[in-house]
Amino acid sequence: MSSDPDAPSDATSTPDASRSGETLLETRGLVKEFGGLVATDDVSIDVKRGERVSIIGPNGAGKSTLINLITRRLEPTRGDILFKGESIVQMEPHQVVQRGISKSFQTASIFPDLTVMENAQIAALAAEHGEFGFNFLTHRDKLTDVHELAEDTLEAVGLLDRAHNDAEDLPYGDKRRLEIGIALAAEPDLLLMDEPTAGMSPEETQATVDLIEEVKEEMGLTFVLVEHDMEIVFSISDRIVVLNRGGVIAEGTPEEIRGDPAVQEAYLGGVEL
Amino acid sequence: MSDRNTTGESSTKSDGGTVIADNTLVARWEEIREREATVVGVTAICVAIFPWLFSRAPVISDVLLGYQSLATLILIWGIFAVGFDLLLGYTGLLSFGHAAFWGGAAYAAGIVANTVSADPIVMVVAGTAFAVLLAWVLGFLSLRRGGIYFSILTLAFAQMLYYMSAAPLAFLTGGENGLTGISVTPLFGVFHLESDLPSVAGTLIGNWMYLFVGVIAVLSVAAAYRILNSPYGMVFRAIRENEQRAEFVGLNVWRYKLMAFIISGAFAGIAGSLFTIHGSYVPLQSLYWTESGEIVIMTVLGGTASLFGPILGAGLYLYVENIVSGVQQLTIPFTDIVLINDFGTYWHLLLGLVFLVVIWVAPRGIWGAVSDLRALVRRLAGGDRR
Ligand SMILES: Nc1ncnc2c1ncn2[C@@H]1O[C@H](COP(=O)(O)OP(=O)(O)OP(=O)(O)O)[C@@H](O)[C@H]1O
Ligand SMILES: [Mg+2]
Repeated sequence: MSSDPDAPSDATSTPDASRSGETLLETRGLVKEFGGLVATDDVSIDVKRGERVSIIGPNGAGKSTLINLITRRLEPTRGDILFKGESIVQMEPHQVVQRGISKSFQTASIFPDLTVMENAQIAALAAEHGEFGFNFLTHRDKLTDVHELAEDTLEAVGLLDRAHNDAEDLPYGDKRRLEIGIALAAEPDLLLMDEPTAGMSPEETQATVDLIEEVKEEMGLTFVLVEHDMEIVFSISDRIVVLNRGGVIAEGTPEEIRGDPAVQEAYLGGVEL
Repeated sequence: MSDRNTTGESSTKSDGGTVIADNTLVARWEEIREREATVVGVTAICVAIFPWLFSRAPVISDVLLGYQSLATLILIWGIFAVGFDLLLGYTGLLSFGHAAFWGGAAYAAGIVANTVSADPIVMVVAGTAFAVLLAWVLGFLSLRRGGIYFSILTLAFAQMLYYMSAAPLAFLTGGENGLTGISVTPLFGVFHLESDLPSVAGTLIGNWMYLFVGVIAVLSVAAAYRILNSPYGMVFRAIRENEQRAEFVGLNVWRYKLMAFIISGAFAGIAGSLFTIHGSYVPLQSLYWTESGEIVIMTVLGGTASLFGPILGAGLYLYVENIVSGVQQLTIPFTDIVLINDFGTYWHLLLGLVFLVVIWVAPRGIWGAVSDLRALVRRLAGGDRR
């Protein structure tokens, strides 16, 4: 829609909304050890409804690990994760998705041999009909809710005209968009994105950033973004969490983070903040 | 600030993003071909004329050397293979223990026939129910592991059943001798399965046995086709393609895999029960691992991830096993020139050769080759959809 890329409107309106919002996600003293290596070190963060939080940090800081803990792909060594006030550490990954946390993978994780439309329909099926059903004798054509949601999703990520292509035939950038689409079709309350622009050309990156901006405007979605590109991070986030060696070393608004000496230290001046 | 909070109602409707209807003859044929009634109807016709073509038609049957009872057997294994492909081809799970469901159902049907009722319908229901239960238990245990470990677990469980029916359960199963003394009662109490159908039906279809098996085979194909067009068909393929992603869109992958296993077990159960009815006997070998291997070979030979490929694979396999093995001398057709003596004794070798050639020439099996051919024709005819 008419997504106005002007920064001022965000900067004034969204932080207000987030301050007043309820806590959607909360981690309490989260620890993940791989053998002797502490990949996540006593991380306690919270994300409010409607808020856009970025997680940054140097390579190996534990960003992906933290995301994987929240999605239940990894088992935490210690600590708790609360979503909508409910502990999710005992749940299976698909149960977490059903409760409203969706994830876009760091690589284009799609269903290559299915059509683009079917890729979206799979996610729409899970969103509309839950984790499982006994509908094996129901013809798919009857599931109009699934078809509509899938079509809307493809429309939103701009892939509707390629709906009947096999997903594996898409160029890489489109695969990533489809991957984001799959995550969106789950109709999440919270979207986790691990480096959504990794491996993309500058044009594809721009298209993806526009897509994220659009989603942010249209759906009022809460999301947690892991991203290396500081320009994207500073333009999109309400709040930034900086990780280093598994622990949180700084947290705050983009302005606060920009001037934080600990952050400068962690990046060793490698990135001009 | 949020003027809209759902994607559903507010997003613009699709402006004809679905298949662009082109009116070429080929496209229309494609559309008709994919309709459910067409698929089932064509299957029914093929099933109905197959025994005549195979065993009674002039010239063709003389060359093929087919016979009625083999036609029935091909359909029975065809049902087994259709169900097996739902698991192997569509869900991407290689079970090496489906003899458990085939043989288990065969025994269950036979034991019910000897103790409760030898009505063919009762036998099929009992055998299938047993196979479903067994598939539920074995699936529950085997699907805990993925990949090769899953295959080995299924193999191990099936072999356990084999050894159990060989000795400890011999009082039920007849042990090494197999289960004997089964005399199947007439269908609906009236129609003797071994007797011929009246008039034209008799010429075309043959006996009641084939009609009974044929009807169940068509119903099985219809059910499989519907499953493939249900949400399950899509979810199965999604699991095959990217299991982790399927889990992370919020699907309970484990339960869907268990359902794929149970459904394929049900098809194996239907087929196993029919096998008992057809032979009035259950050999101990029906639980042996070689049966599990045969169904894998038939399915791959015919073409995985296709509805009809596995039936063709079953047909070709059984043809080589039963007809070619009986050929004493290979002669040049319509002459007396002998090429090879004792040709039939080499049938295992020949089967291996057939398998190699098919997989080499057409990696996606017989049906894969047929689809490629069709795609070629479509392109030549100018009705390409993409
Ligand atoms: N499965 C694993 N087993 C052992 N060590 C692991 C595992 N996954 C991650 N690690 C280690 O944990 C640390 C954090 O890794 P993680 O992938 O979370 O970093 P990251 O911040 O996402 O880095 P990048 O920016 O490169 O994506 C690294 O030292 C990594 O080697
Ligand atoms: Mg990472």
